[in-house]
Amino acid sequence: MTRLEEMVSHVHKLPAMPVVAMEVLQSMSGADTDIDALAKRIAQDQAIAARVLRVANSPFYGLQSRVGSIHDAIVVLGLSSVRSLVLAAAVITGLPGGRCPEFSQSRFWRHVLGVAAAARALARPLRRPPEPLFVAGLLHDIGRLAMMTIYPEELCGVLADAQTRDCTLVEAEFRHFGFDHSTVGAELARRWNFPAEIIDALAWHHDPARGVPGGLAGIVHYADAIAHALDLDGAETGQVPRLDAQTVDALDLGWEALNGVLTETRAGFDSFETLLG
Amino acid sequence: MDDTLTLPLAEVLPGTVLAAPVLDHSGAVLLPAGLSLTEVQLDGLRRRDVATLLVVRPEDAEARARKQERIRARVMYLFRHTADEAGSQALLHAVLAFRQETGQ
Repeated sequence: MTRLEEMVSHVHKLPAMPVVAMEVLQSMSGADTDIDALAKRIAQDQAIAARVLRVANSPFYGLQSRVGSIHDAIVVLGLSSVRSLVLAAAVITGLPGGRCPEFSQSRFWRHVLGVAAAARALARPLRRPPEPLFVAGLLHDIGRLAMMTIYPEELCGVLADAQTRDCTLVEAEFRHFGFDHSTVGAELARRWNFPAEIIDALAWHHDPARGVPGGLAGIVHYADAIAHALDLDGAETGQVPRLDAQTVDALDLGWEALNGVLTETRAGFDSFETLLG
Repeated sequence: MDDTLTLPLAEVLPGTVLAAPVLDHSGAVLLPAGLSLTEVQLDGLRRRDVATLLVVRPEDAEARARKQERIRARVMYLFRHTADEAGSQALLHAVLAFRQETGQ
């Protein structure tokens, strides 16, 4: 069995996606959503509901009165925002993380939320619906969590190696395993029946030229660089990864648009950060 | 206390530090925030009919310059492997301006 085949068989033994997250993902692709039923379903998962309400009541949304229930949150913030928040909270509470000095759980999630915030901020200038962009950003590095579960010791060594060599984690992963977290993430996304555009984003966010042209991979690729450049994960030795020039050209963001994206990313990130507390 | 102040161009002396970037009509940065203005640059601004500038209050200028330099050094560190690449240029300059302006 090759290393890659071995990885795939491991991925298929990982836990299933948290049920609420699965239902939320499904409701994104369906036209009709029974809001009452979804709200009730979300409220049953106390850990997730509490995180969502905390964000809904954060200063970012500037609401006059307190949101006390998931149902109210949907009425006030809209179904799309609440779904994104639920998915974020579900992934944060539901996926096992790793334990080693080189892997910081909070830094990982700060990075992921930063990329999600940046991807969502890109929606306006790119004239796309924000929800899939946010979701793709949120899930883009789940392959890393999967690797942490499958290969805890090896991955810790790889993280240390990346520090020593001052290279990106993707480069260090590839050097050691012959594949990286984007391959693992796409495999997990297939197992969890994610929509095709999300699988594509997970698979190619470090090599967007190979993704579907005009798809989410290029947007997550750029959002990833934004999150690193704004220091959102707070990693002392962070670095902005190489940007694919053709992808950047295709996004065609002018100075003003880019400045707006940075402002919105920062504000969005500050609000989502309350999810982590 | 706000550490910036708006001055008519005629009252701005060389050595004054810009608190915000000076943009041209298309929004491109002519002079970045944190720059200590020279006579030549002030001349250029006069030729462009710039009326006022947002500058750093003189007593804060030194502290501000140190902070701007810290931010610049941090951004250049983050882009240490990619600063020269075509794909990075727009983001590098936008992030530098944004972080210096917001102080984050």
